[in-house]
Amino acid sequence: MPPTVAERPRSSATERRKRTTAAVILSLPLILFAAVFVIYPLASGALTAFQSSTLLDQSNEPNGIDNFVSLFRSDGFAKAAGFTLGFSAAVVAIEMVLGFALALLMNRAFPGKKLFFTLLLLPIMVAPALLGVMFRLLLNGDIGALPALLDSVGLSVSLFSPDSVVPLLVVLDVLQWTPFTFLIIYAGLQSFPKELLEASAMDGAGYLRSLTSVIVPVLKPVLFAAFFLRAIDAIRTFDVIYVLTAGGPGTSTTTLSIYIYKTAFESGDFGKAAAAALVVLVCLIPFVPFIVRRISSTGMEAKK
Amino acid sequence: MSVLVNDSTTTAAERPPAKAPGHRRAWVFTIVAGVIALIVNVPLLNAVLVSFKPDGEIAKNPISLPTSPTLDHYANVLYASGYDFPRFFANSAMIAVGTVLLVLVIAIPATYAIVRLNFGGRWIISSASGLRLLPAIFFVVPFFILFSTLGLADTIPGLIAANTFLNLPLAIILLSSALGDIPQEIEEAAAVDGASIYRTLGSIVLPLLAPTMVAVSVLVFIFSWNDYLFALVLSTSSATPVTLGAANFITSTGIRWGDISAASVLSTLPPLLFAVFAQRYLVSGLSSGAVKG
Repeated sequence: MPPTVAERPRSSATERRKRTTAAVILSLPLILFAAVFVIYPLASGALTAFQSSTLLDQSNEPNGIDNFVSLFRSDGFAKAAGFTLGFSAAVVAIEMVLGFALALLMNRAFPGKKLFFTLLLLPIMVAPALLGVMFRLLLNGDIGALPALLDSVGLSVSLFSPDSVVPLLVVLDVLQWTPFTFLIIYAGLQSFPKELLEASAMDGAGYLRSLTSVIVPVLKPVLFAAFFLRAIDAIRTFDVIYVLTAGGPGTSTTTLSIYIYKTAFESGDFGKAAAAALVVLVCLIPFVPFIVRRISSTGMEAKK
Repeated sequence: MSVLVNDSTTTAAERPPAKAPGHRRAWVFTIVAGVIALIVNVPLLNAVLVSFKPDGEIAKNPISLPTSPTLDHYANVLYASGYDFPRFFANSAMIAVGTVLLVLVIAIPATYAIVRLNFGGRWIISSASGLRLLPAIFFVVPFFILFSTLGLADTIPGLIAANTFLNLPLAIILLSSALGDIPQEIEEAAAVDGASIYRTLGSIVLPLLAPTMVAVSVLVFIFSWNDYLFALVLSTSSATPVTLGAANFITSTGIRWGDISAASVLSTLPPLLFAVFAQRYLVSGLSSGAVKG
């Protein structure tokens, strides 16, 4: 940028001071907001993890690592972590495969494509909590369409029984979030070099081989972004499951988020909830810079 | 993503010359895509159908279309039955609009300072991305305590602040990448002409950022409309939004399924309308790798 280079030497000390003042003034709202609603909560949340603090009594006596001891002694936390990881692994794997397949399917011209594209995106826009309400309408034993449908073909399953509730929640998550992986991968396919696709289509080697040897390698960054964005969201799942089962029956569908919420606001143990949240945070933080780097680089590519 | 929109129009233009066998194959894709689009929307369609069925019909024939459609449930929800639903709806609207405004007011000048005036450096953008990846649940307990202290618990401004916290990172990421795409020469020319930094930002940069501001507004509106976790923790009655209100309908009104379905359909309408009419902005915002769940 030649003009920049030409001008820089001219900008005097007062000019630079003006820019700094302006920068501070313009950033002030963000600095104030971040101080009150990001930095302070992060610090106080971490501090609460080392205090005895409850819903009713927030005298905040330091109690060392007592919260962590009681967290790891009770099996609730480990169970919630196990369920969350298993659930996330299952839904993300299925959503990646189905989203990829759907993106390949939609990546061509056919009548009605625009309409179906819009329809496919709708589930992403529905509030997960409201979708939970809609699932209850659909799955209710008395008035739900699905039990009625299963009944009419002679299948009578109790959908929310301990045996079927986990697969049910996996299916529901897949219904809502496959459109998301589809969208990310489809956007990636749009920036895919057309000649490469056509060349591999001409090639007699077959669709499957061109898929594994041409499309997947080129799409790797996009697949990576879709995978991690979904994984992060799956790990913090709360709304749908809380509305549908509230973590039950028993604790069989308690995710980490539900566990932390219940520990804080049902058992009233803020200290233990903060300790659990801190453990989750510390486990996730190592992945953050890695993901940020990968995702921001795909963001650049997708725009070009 | 403009690529996407252009693509669908060009392919539409290309279609007529397609040969007959290819054309027949294209219809297979129409059917398959149609069936999948239908399946993922079954919960929504089912709720719409139930909302038009009279009470007697809901339990009697769960699978069929409504035989004598009624608008009673919508009337009940909106005014006839004295539910709090209209208030929940107004709360959600205030929270979502307020969050959009606050996010823009905070994010635009700050992003400009970071990207153009080299304030603080790129690490702020990176930590914004990082913050998006951290679980919101971590902030639930500290927010609850902080909001009680500040008197923000169960208030609209409180929920606006919470949702601004959730959505600021996304706004900063999208705005900073859009700013990076605007050629700096225009601003430099304005500076040479003697325009102050604030004037340059207001009358030159803002108009150029308009499309991104729309994308950010649409996404932030939807995400704050859809928030449930912070509403659950930070509101008890006077600031309750529709997500919480509709979910509570189930327990508080027993088995009035028709009213519940009408309430959930109405509550989903604003984000869905955005999804249909602002799809271009949604797709570009969502696919630039920055999304919230």
